[in-house]
Amino acid sequence: MKMTNIYEGSYQWIMFGRDENKPDKIIDTNQYMVRTANRCLLIDPGGVELFAPMLAAVLHYAPVEQITDIFASHQDPDIISSLGLWDQALPDAKLHASELWEGFIRHFGCESIEYVPIADNGGTINMDGVELQVIPAHYMHSSANFNIYDSQAKILMSGDVGAALEAPGAAMFVDNFDAHVEKMRFFHQRWMPSNQAKRVWIDRVRELDVNILAPQHGRMFKGDDVKRFLDWFEALPVGIAV
Amino acid sequence: MKVGQTKSQFVAVASIAAELSAVMDVAKEISLAAANAKAIAFRAGEKAKGFQPITDFINELAKETIELVEAINEHALSLYQLTVDEHRMTDAYNKFEAVSALAKDTAYEDSLKQPMLKAHHNMTECKRDFKSNVAQLLEQLAEVMHPARAARVIAANSRIEASQAGEYLQSLQAVAESVDNAAQVIHDNVQRCRSALSVVNLTE
Ligand SMILES: [Fe+2]
Ligand SMILES: [Fe+2]
Repeated sequence: MKMTNIYEGSYQWIMFGRDENKPDKIIDTNQYMVRTANRCLLIDPGGVELFAPMLAAVLHYAPVEQITDIFASHQDPDIISSLGLWDQALPDAKLHASELWEGFIRHFGCESIEYVPIADNGGTINMDGVELQVIPAHYMHSSANFNIYDSQAKILMSGDVGAALEAPGAAMFVDNFDAHVEKMRFFHQRWMPSNQAKRVWIDRVRELDVNILAPQHGRMFKGDDVKRFLDWFEALPVGIAV
Repeated sequence: MKVGQTKSQFVAVASIAAELSAVMDVAKEISLAAANAKAIAFRAGEKAKGFQPITDFINELAKETIELVEAINEHALSLYQLTVDEHRMTDAYNKFEAVSALAKDTAYEDSLKQPMLKAHHNMTECKRDFKSNVAQLLEQLAEVMHPARAARVIAANSRIEASQAGEYLQSLQAVAESVDNAAQVIHDNVQRCRSALSVVNLTE
């Protein structure tokens, strides 16, 4: 599991991904962690297969008992099917996820972890004084879906939005936007269901000051590439399977 | 515990539920047959005098079987939950061991010790609970065999009584026949439950 620090201030953002030992048929995922003074928030901690390499990687940064919070952008197995294992590893943790998905996500096992339901209009997660915004991103792609925005680090963790299907070992950041487009096109056209939801999401994100757009698959976007992505996405018709 | 072992546990516990629901159906059939027999015996009057207490007895046995099976069903359900828990805990413990191997020389590898100890404790406890639950369930299953065996004896008696019932001979004989068959089915199903469970128990 590769670890990349993407924000370094009084707290850190770390991206975990490109796990070399991942079974071939499983989609590669990016996991993120916000590490504050005494706590850690795992953002989309990943599937069952990722649990061991993921926890082992986190132990470079923090002890188990300081992993106090987990966020699931939506209910997909590549996002949160590891929950049942975290549930037994973490003595005192909360899971922040949509109230709509509670009855579904609990199928993965959620006995000792406290499920903190997020209402449709989002909210905030406070980590040792660091305030993270939970931004609604419904139907992007899941019917109840959230992003995490950190106004200080200027990072938007965008879930499956901005995702690209890449060859193993791809770079961490987009370096040639035009070449990157083809790795995203089908994914966005097929997985994103609604042009209307897309419109609302783009308007919402344009209001935010985003330096890094951090998706759950593929490379992250930095600086001007964030704007390029929004423009490209705006012009792309989605929901093509009907 | 190996993966195959857990799989066979799931299958064994699930097959018990299936066998038991068949036992339940049969017990209900017996109960119906008993009501039927009672009506016939009533109509036959004097000729079927010996048959009347038998029908009550058959009914009792059916009721007893149904109650026992209900209790066993409840038990089997909790055994299923235990199987799920045990599978989860064993899986978690194995994954923690994998984490521990991968986390060698990380800054915080020691923090894994506590969760691993807890997971090991939970796993061991779950396995122990599972074992004792299986033993209890086996005992309960042995109990269900009693009314089934008694029913077979009664069926034999019924045939003798039926032979004195004149024109009601055939219908009463049919009752005896169906009680006998039902008891046989229950006996076989319960036997299958027991051997499914013993497999789980022995391979532990
Ligand atoms: Fe997804
Ligand atoms: Fe995804």
